[in-house]
Amino acid sequence: MRTSLSILNKQFKDSLNNLPTLMIIMIYPIVAFIMIIAMRGEEFAGRMFISMFATMHCCFAPATTASNIISEEKEKGTLRSLIMSGVSRINYLVSISLFVILASMLTGSTFLLMDQFDCEYAFKFLSAMFLGAVTSTLLGLCIGINSKNTAAANGMAVPVGLTISLIPMLAQFNDGIAKVSKLLYSGRISLILGDGGNVSWDTAAVIGAYLVLFSVILVFLFKKKGLEQG
Amino acid sequence: MKAVINLKNVTCSFGSKQVLSGISLEIRHKEIFGMLGPSGAGKTTLINILTGQLPYGGEARIFDTECARIGHDVYRDIGAVLDKCGLYERLSCMDNMLLFARIHNVPRIAISDVINKVGLKGSERIKVGKFSKGMKQRLQLACAVLHKPKLLFLDEPTSGLDPSTAAEIHSLMRELRENGTTIFLTTHNMDEAYRMCDRVALLNEGIIAECGSPYEICRKYCTQSEFIIVTSDNEKISLPNSPESAGKAAELILGGKIRTIHSAEPDLGTVFLKLTGRKLTK
Repeated sequence: MRTSLSILNKQFKDSLNNLPTLMIIMIYPIVAFIMIIAMRGEEFAGRMFISMFATMHCCFAPATTASNIISEEKEKGTLRSLIMSGVSRINYLVSISLFVILASMLTGSTFLLMDQFDCEYAFKFLSAMFLGAVTSTLLGLCIGINSKNTAAANGMAVPVGLTISLIPMLAQFNDGIAKVSKLLYSGRISLILGDGGNVSWDTAAVIGAYLVLFSVILVFLFKKKGLEQG
Repeated sequence: MKAVINLKNVTCSFGSKQVLSGISLEIRHKEIFGMLGPSGAGKTTLINILTGQLPYGGEARIFDTECARIGHDVYRDIGAVLDKCGLYERLSCMDNMLLFARIHNVPRIAISDVINKVGLKGSERIKVGKFSKGMKQRLQLACAVLHKPKLLFLDEPTSGLDPSTAAEIHSLMRELRENGTTIFLTTHNMDEAYRMCDRVALLNEGIIAECGSPYEICRKYCTQSEFIIVTSDNEKISLPNSPESAGKAAELILGGKIRTIHSAEPDLGTVFLKLTGRKLTK
């Protein structure tokens, strides 16, 4: 517990001094805010933009942030310093995941300030974002573990994250993409956020399947490559 | 008392290249042990094996735990200043220290003491990214010794440091040893090894060419039976170790003409050259 809190504390301080990470974590709420201000008065604006950008935020930011943190720690040798200090690898992964999810949820909760949400919808909205953030964090951990350095991690995480987060938005304009979007957890998160926070069984099944899939890949990569190798 | 580090016939290879061949060693409690060798001799590889970072053949144990199975409980008793261990450059010196202090459950008050000892007082609030190489090295050492480890690995700890900082680090090493820390040091600085180490091993191309106390090694390879007198005129006179030389030496002493008298033992670098045909510093 003490170690996890130390890593969490370190990561908050480090990220506050790291502009690229800050940008990734904050960009979608900022863009959503600007869009809502710019299109104030338009009937479709508010909720649509919020659910669209909230989906992009909870699917893109955790994946890229998690992979970026792990790969940078490998590249700069700080991960080795931590492990040589007696931090267990699992403890490290849990702490970084906690940071990524917390940071994403903290910045993501600002979406609630952009429109009037009743308590029940706000809770469902945050829960859906939390599910998206957890799934994306698992994806980010897989990419981070599999990459030797930040260049390799970003080369993988950015296109994957963008694809996953943009498809639900594009699905609103194209039926073919909408079908593909339903197969992605991000598409399902988008459906929950756009549907008043209601979750259907098939949506729960798709998101559950991705959670299991990413967890299995994570365990496989961790056992095969360890944490420091990449 | 059981050895802190125990190596039996340790081997390591990268592809077809054999980096270490049949290394056997025992390093005792409270010992400063120096691994000497030129670049590429296998010193860092050996440290990486001992810290559980590399696979190997044979038997390598730390605190009676096989190095391949070192867990975070063993790491808690170890400190390391290695080339591949990094610092958080976006955080300040103090934030880096605080992180490792919290991990090791060391009180905050102990930090300033260690910072003073490594000569970083006044730099606590500076971000590590703005530190020079020497300052980073000192901070790494401070983080590594903060929890008073039982075993400390130092990979070229004073390379690139000015003589006064190197002396401060040497004094910290002695203090740690007095407090019960065993130190495994790699260096190609023979003076450092001679002054600091209780025992050294001379590593060449993955094989230990010689192992023992620096003084004993130098004496063992002292084949020249002579001594050197430096006169007050800065003239160097080599005299054979024989009764005939006694008269000449007495004459110089009585005449007040002697500045210094030296034995003609070889230094570690000369022994290494003699054994391997290679220079330590290369």
